[in-house]
Formats: sequence, structure tokens, C-alpha cells
Amino acid sequence: MAQLQTDEVSMIYAIGGEQIIAVDKVSIAIEKGEFVSLVGHSGSGKTTLLSILGGIAKPSSGSVRFEGRDIYGLNSDGLSEYRSEKIGFMFQFASLLSVLTAKENLLLPVLFKPSRKDADGKLHEERAVELLNMVGLGDRINAYPSQLSGGQQRRVAIARAFMNDPELILADEPTGDLDEETEADMMRFFSDMNKAQGVTFILVTHNTELAGQAGRRMKMVHGKNEEQ
Amino acid sequence: MTNDFSVLSFAIKNVKRRPLRTAMLVLAITLLTAVLVFALSFIYRVHASIQIMTSRLGADIIVVPTGSRGAAEDVLLENKVKSFYMDQDILEKVSKIDGIEKMTHQTYLVTLSSLCCSVPESLIIAFDQDSDFIMKPWLKGKIDRKLGKGESIVGHESSFNISVGLVEVDSVLFGNVFKMVGVLDKTGTGLDNAVFISDDNISDIVKNSDLPIKPGQVSIIFAKIKEGFSHRKVANAIEDSIIEVDAVTGKDIGRSIINTLRDISGIFSMTIALASILSIFLAWTVFSAVANERSQEVGIMRAVGAKESHVMGLFFIEVLLIGAVGSTAGIVFGTGLSVLLAKSFTILKNISSDLRAVERLAVAVIGFVAGTGICIIGALVPIRRIKKMEPLTAIKER
Repeated sequence: MAQLQTDEVSMIYAIGGEQIIAVDKVSIAIEKGEFVSLVGHSGSGKTTLLSILGGIAKPSSGSVRFEGRDIYGLNSDGLSEYRSEKIGFMFQFASLLSVLTAKENLLLPVLFKPSRKDADGKLHEERAVELLNMVGLGDRINAYPSQLSGGQQRRVAIARAFMNDPELILADEPTGDLDEETEADMMRFFSDMNKAQGVTFILVTHNTELAGQAGRRMKMVHGKNEEQ
Repeated sequence: MTNDFSVLSFAIKNVKRRPLRTAMLVLAITLLTAVLVFALSFIYRVHASIQIMTSRLGADIIVVPTGSRGAAEDVLLENKVKSFYMDQDILEKVSKIDGIEKMTHQTYLVTLSSLCCSVPESLIIAFDQDSDFIMKPWLKGKIDRKLGKGESIVGHESSFNISVGLVEVDSVLFGNVFKMVGVLDKTGTGLDNAVFISDDNISDIVKNSDLPIKPGQVSIIFAKIKEGFSHRKVANAIEDSIIEVDAVTGKDIGRSIINTLRDISGIFSMTIALASILSIFLAWTVFSAVANERSQEVGIMRAVGAKESHVMGLFFIEVLLIGAVGSTAGIVFGTGLSVLLAKSFTILKNISSDLRAVERLAVAVIGFVAGTGICIIGALVPIRRIKKMEPLTAIKER
């Protein structure tokens, strides 16, 4: 059984009486531990598909199954738990909360959890500092987003996606603001997490070179999915 | 390594984001709560004073000369210095009314001029020691004997007592020397500001002063009613059979003040209602702006796993923080105002009783719940709106 499977998923928006088909009957199956890249032109439906897979946008039709369970059959709390326990999001933008420090932004996904420790018994705060060290920001843990460069903010957001030990990372152009060297570092970091911990990656990118590093490549064209 | 990042610390950071806007809302809640606390303290204090007075008076009915009811209430409730008289034969007429169990009388004398007396303007109450049941409970333990001729005892708050600061002194009242032999316990009534003498002294006082009192006149009759008799019916029977008097039941004492109080309460209620509407509107406006500004953040929070209830909880903590700070400041401000301005209101100026700690606490609790509650009501709609937003929709609203 595939870890993540969609069955003719569509997303149709109505804008000013006109129907926009952002995602058109996409059926994919992704196995646990795969590293998938998703390419396509702007407006091709990549971000919408990623949002549907992550449980933050309900499709107009079709189903999304994670480990065999229809995630949109869950109620609002169930979907939140799915996102909290299974998913790590990296958005197109840095997506940090301006009033929180780098470390606090990392703690956001675990803020509402009853325990202050993760499954391995490690304090969330220790895990946050560890992750910030892994993305090269160990000396900026108490810096606010306004005190960080765009690239540093990106790396904080990348680190945050791993905070809840997710099984699936949904990354929407996560290295967009990074210089080449840091981008390469982050890709190595992704690769390590993928290989060492078996985390599944779906990486949206315009960069064909980055896409080429993925084990499996998919392309979105006018809302439809094409395997490459 | 300690984790000091919590939902509360997150909420505090959010509240501090826009200090001016937060301060405006806090100020509105402060003013609303202050008005409420001031109004409640005011009304509560007058009510409490009347209740204390009637319960401590020890009489079921008071009988005063026709038209002197207001003056009697001024003396008993507001510690005012007033005198009024009726002939002593009325005592006998009242005693014949069916239902009267026992009665006593007092005569009010006013030390108007420094020529007559060595004390500041005061009310001197001459009472009949044989029939008295009004003073007796308060005199017990203070002086375990009858007051002799030429002896007096002073009320707890009496200006004379305060100015002298001690007893066992001689003073001149209406040309007669009186020895102060004791201080009455605090009664919480108009008696606290008076000086008490036995009515054996009245004939000498009348002889030696220019007081507008004739021999044998009294000011007020206090009556106890037999069990099973209606106080109101007995009072009506007194008024029907004795045209020269007004009879007031214990429950009706202070009615004119209560009626005035009702009008004042109406004004307070209207002010509080308007302030509440304004505060609700302000809270709604502020939290609508907050919801719009932070919709993307809420979307991100939801995307990383926060439930609707978590988002609601965070916003409610923020509302509670603002409401709690505003309400607390309002309680302090309102209580301070009620204490400071008490002397500026005639109705309060002469009332001897103040609110007890438990009553002040009750007013504070009401103020806190109302102030915070108004803030919550105002913020409810914007918070519910943002809670219901789909994460992706919220994230895109930037």
C-alpha cells in the first residue's frame, strides 16, 4: 500500500463566475521514503496539489489517502492531528511569525501538544536548538525574523518542518531565497533526512537541476499530472 | 535548558504587538469597569446604610410630627442636625392604638450657637431611660448604670468626640454643664454623630436656652408592634386617629432616598449601557483588525497542526488578558473614585456606613466579570470567523 495516494483529485475555483480548474483529476501514489520532485509552470497547480496532499485545502472532488486512510473523511480536529503528526510543511514564503524568535517559531508545531518531550523523550526545546544547528543557525536561535536575512528565515522555516518528526515533507520551493551554496547544503540536509530517517519528500521546484536530484520526477501541466 | 515558550507567553507577545491599539481597548474597559464599580459602590452603600439603620434602629414604627418625616430620615440616615417637636400627649394617644407593644420617645436638641454651648454644632438627643429600648443595646458595656442628671455619652463619630479625643470632660450644653462619661459603640446610624443625655435634663435646658421647644414636647416616638399585627396597618391606624403625626414603618424609612437612588441608578444604568455598547464595538473593531492582520499566521498555525480550538484558545487568552488588565485597572479606579468622591455627594456625605470588605470584593468581582465579559462578547464574532477559515484560504490572505 502506498503511503500517499490520490484518486482523481480535482480542485475547481469559481472566480467571477468563471471556473478555474487548478488541479484536474490527479491520481498519484507515493511510497514511503520516496523523494519526489514536482515541476511545472506558474499556475500549473503545484502549490494547490501540495496543499491538498497536506490537508490544508479540501479538494472539490476525489480522495486523498494517507496510509490507507481518507484524510478528508476526517473532521477538522482529525485533519489537524494528521498535519501535526504526519506532515511537515515548507511554504513558498518564509512563513515565520514575526513576534516569535527563531527557536519559538520552531516550537510552534509542538506548542499545543500536551507533552514537552518528543517520542524519543527529548525536550522539544532541545530538538529545536538541534535543528537550528543542523541548518546552520545555532547562533541565531533567539533572533526575531526581522533580525534575520531572507535566506536565514528560509532555513528557520525548513528546520520548523522537521520539528514534529514528520513522515512526509511537503516543500514548496523551499530554497527559493537561498544562495547556491546554502541551497546545496539544504538539499544535502533533505537527502540525509530522506535516507537516514525515511522521511518522504515531495519537493516543488522550478529548478530543473534540483528536480533532477529527486528519485522520481513529476510534472504539472494545466492542473494535470505527468510522470517524467 | 528551560522552555519558557507557552501559549500564555505567545498570547502576551501578541497583545504587545500594537501597544497603542491595545491601550485604547484597555482604557475603554477600564472606564466601563470604573463607572460600573463606582455606581455599584454608590448604590450598594446607600442601600446598605438604610438596611443597617433600619435593622439596628430596633423599632417597628417611628412616629414624628406631620411633615417631619423627611427631617427624621435626615437625622436617622444622614446624620443631619435637625429638630422638630410634638406635644407629649401624643405619646398617650399612640399607646392606645391597637397593636402597640411598647414605645419610647426621644427629643432632639440642636446646639446652633456657640453662645449656648461649648461644642460644635451637634445633635443632642434626650431619651427616656425608663422606656428606652433604642439606646439600651448600645449603652450596654459602656455604662452599666443609668445616666445621671448632668451626664452625657457621645456617639462614636461625634464631631465633639473626635475633636476632644477623650471622655470624662465637662462641657456646656445650653447653659448647663455636662460631664461626658462614655463613648457609644459604632452603630452605623445617625446616632453615631449625636450626644446623648437623659431627658431629666430637658426642663433645665428649656429654662436656660432659647430653643424653640416647649416643656413636655418630644421629637420622635419609637414603637414596637405586637406579634401578629401588620406594621403598615398599625402605622395607618396611628395616622388615621392622630392627625398631628406621620407614622413610618421600619421598611419605609429611607423610601424617599431609595426613590432618589432609583433615579440615580437609572442614569448610571444608561451610562453603563452606553459604555458597554461602545466597549463591545471597540473590542469588535480591534479584534476584527487583529483577525485580518493575523489570518496568514493563523493559517500557518493551522497548517503546522493547531486545531480550531487551539486558535480560539490563543485568541481568548489575548482577550482575557486585555479584559483582565482593563477590569483590574477599572476596579482600582472606580473604587478610588467612590472613596474620593463620596464626600462630594450629599446623599453619601452624611451616611455613616461604608462598604464592608466582602461587599467591596463583591463589587470588584462584578466589575471584573462585566469588564472582561464585555471584551469577550466584542471579540467573539471576529475570533469565530478566523477560527472557521480553511488554512490555505487564511494563508493566502496576506
